[in-house]
Amino acid sequence: MLKGHLDLIVLAALSAGPAHGYAVIEEIRRRSGQAFDLPEGTIYPALHRLEQTGLLVSHWVTAESGRRRRVYALTRRGERALTERRAVWQQFSAAIGSLLTGARPRGRPA
Amino acid sequence: MISQYLESLAAALSFDRSLSRRVRQEVEDHLWGAVAADPRGDGLETERSAIAKFGDPQRIAAQFAMVSLARRTKEAGIALILVIAGVFITMKTRIAWYAVMQCAVSDDIRAVLGIVGSIDRYAFWLSVIIGIGGWAYVCGRGIPAEFHPRYRNQLRRFRWLCTAATGALIVSVISDALLTALRLPGAELSAESLLPIFSIAIEVACAGLLVFKIRGITQRETSTAALLLKT
Repeated sequence: MLKGHLDLIVLAALSAGPAHGYAVIEEIRRRSGQAFDLPEGTIYPALHRLEQTGLLVSHWVTAESGRRRRVYALTRRGERALTERRAVWQQFSAAIGSLLTGARPRGRPA
Repeated sequence: MISQYLESLAAALSFDRSLSRRVRQEVEDHLWGAVAADPRGDGLETERSAIAKFGDPQRIAAQFAMVSLARRTKEAGIALILVIAGVFITMKTRIAWYAVMQCAVSDDIRAVLGIVGSIDRYAFWLSVIIGIGGWAYVCGRGIPAEFHPRYRNQLRRFRWLCTAATGALIVSVISDALLTALRLPGAELSAESLLPIFSIAIEVACAGLLVFKIRGITQRETSTAALLLKT
């Protein structure tokens, strides 16, 4: 289930600011209350894919350790995509919540 | 241990050298970062744990193969447009050269030139229409996270469009070569025949580049499917 929402998760993790791959994974763990413990290697193909579709940009920096590090950041398009996907998710989540509790949904899910 | 892992990951990504280099550096930074953050400190056990959390290199390479294939496909779409534009500019330059050199054409070959010229025009504009269609088709689509049949169908359709556009372009280039051969005076090389011959060589190289690109994406698609099947 997580796999289908990986792009949204990565975009949301980067909404706090530019970060390298390891920091993105840490941010996902932290913000999900350690609930999302993804196989770390899956994040990198997702970062590359999102960069290729223009939702992220990246550049090399030199870390304190002296190693080269690739830092990713959201583009304007990425921010817009995150806003849209967040809205879709919230509608969907509200609809499922209502379904499970028996209450009437407030909006139409996508 | 981390070096060995990086070697095997780089080997699994050998289908794309620039991607392999970049991923290797990123993963190296990641793994050493994970080791440094581990409260158990440096050591083989910490390195083993960091590698285990990162995942199987073949599986990761298979996911990157998808990204690489998508990039190659988009590059082929752009190459298609650039090559067609290049052939157009070359053709126009050659025609301008004929005008400047005031190349005369005898009446008996004028009729042949007309027929071949028509074939050339229709084939070229057909390649333009199909090429733009192919480029728009591939550039307007995102990159899926998985290599599902729908994506494979999209790739197949794009390959067909590319092949059709290239086929039409090859007909146009052959017609251009024929027109040039008919227009050139005699078999001797002269200063005024150098530019037309050179322009034909450019057109042939452009068409060859497209064939090479189509072959490249076909091979990449096959290797990506094989890699995904293995994992």
